[in-house]
Amino acid sequence: MIDFDPSTFGLAHTYQKEDKDEINTLSMPSAPQVIYRSLNGPTQTNGGNKLNNFKHGTTTLGFVFKEGILLAVDSRASMGSFLSSEQVRKVIEINEYLLGTMAGGAADCQYWLAYLANHCRTYELKNGSKLSVAAASKFLQGILIGYKNSGLSMGCMIAGTDLSGQHLYYIDNDGMRLKGDIFSVGSGSTYAYGVLDNYYRYDLSLDEAVELGVRAIYHATHRDTASGGVVRVYHIHQNGWTKVHDGIDVVDLHYKFAQQKGLVGDGDEAKQRLF
Amino acid sequence: MSGIFEYNGGSIVGMKGKNCIAMACDRRFGQQMSTITTNYQKVFKIQDNILLALSGLNSDIHTFYALMEKEINLYNLKENRKMKPTTFANLVASSLYERRFGPFFVTPIVAGLENGKPILATYDSIGCKSDLDDFQVGGTGGNYIYGACEAFFKPDMSPEELEEVIGQSLVSGCDRDSLSGWGGVVYVLTEQKLTVKILKTKQT
Repeated sequence: MIDFDPSTFGLAHTYQKEDKDEINTLSMPSAPQVIYRSLNGPTQTNGGNKLNNFKHGTTTLGFVFKEGILLAVDSRASMGSFLSSEQVRKVIEINEYLLGTMAGGAADCQYWLAYLANHCRTYELKNGSKLSVAAASKFLQGILIGYKNSGLSMGCMIAGTDLSGQHLYYIDNDGMRLKGDIFSVGSGSTYAYGVLDNYYRYDLSLDEAVELGVRAIYHATHRDTASGGVVRVYHIHQNGWTKVHDGIDVVDLHYKFAQQKGLVGDGDEAKQRLF
Repeated sequence: MSGIFEYNGGSIVGMKGKNCIAMACDRRFGQQMSTITTNYQKVFKIQDNILLALSGLNSDIHTFYALMEKEINLYNLKENRKMKPTTFANLVASSLYERRFGPFFVTPIVAGLENGKPILATYDSIGCKSDLDDFQVGGTGGNYIYGACEAFFKPDMSPEELEEVIGQSLVSGCDRDSLSGWGGVVYVLTEQKLTVKILKTKQT
């Protein structure tokens, strides 16, 4: 005689869930729980001033082209006007076929992208195949919608390769998930878009794409005070990702580009009065 | 980055040496997080032996400089002589206090040579003069420059040494402030000449 209910087939547990039997799939402290929902609307950060939105004080960009996806980021972290670091790593290596970029709260991005990495690995082990980029980004979106209005700050891009090719998604703390070919995120994104939109073509070669990414980040770091440091560049292709540049100093880039134009680069092209 | 003094950003520093003085400033003109130009003048030659450096709201930097330029020109015409640096230092203080209830949003530093003796005075925005220190800073990057000054400064330096030290202090300080930088200019005033040097700094 069958002494269990067949309708329990297909569920993860076919017996009463007991804590000691449950494999703790998270080897890190468990995710923070939101105890209550604020009835007052979104948690105000930075006084709700959108123009001066420090929470995304950075410049990151990514675009799809014929050789895959190129990601380029700056490396500056600032607390108000104080520069706390010029060497931050804003591309998070989720696994060998997925990368995430960081913009907004560093802690939020680092934690949730590591959580995503854990989830991807667990899926791979349980199902024998890798999680697609679409599914990984959707999983992250689901988490962020759950924490909506609680004050998380994340504007990240998920880029990776799977069986259907290379894909780029933009995910933010409002629960937005967008698939696209060109994204730039952060306070310097407006400057980067200017350069990117001007020279982007789908049929860029790898070298041209790297040059474009580097230039766009450089221009953003020159104009935006919250971006600077070094440019880090990653390339995603069908075999995973490659770190193209670990850190090109934007100061060197400034003087190199000025020299290419035949200028010195010290702001004196207009021969301003000095005294 | 709220606050009227942080709106445009910028940093200045002044130092005394042996029978010489040096002033340095960054060159950024920005509006909050956006940089507009990288060649904005913040140190002004009031007279052959007086330099005025201003930091704070750029609009008031320009206005206050124009006011001081007018005052010194009128003084030269009326009294038919040059103004002494200590007199100019007092003039700055009273001009600032004149606007006690609607101040200029600037923090000036005055540097000069009076009979070969270096004079350095700094003020808050309503004219409290402080003229006893060997080096003074102003602006959003001021506190970071203080640290570098304390490390590098020693009394009675020659003009060449002073130029090196003040340049390094400005650059190190501005590197930690996101609102200052984008170039630097160093002015060294001795009895014989005024040397102006443009520094190659981070442009980010």
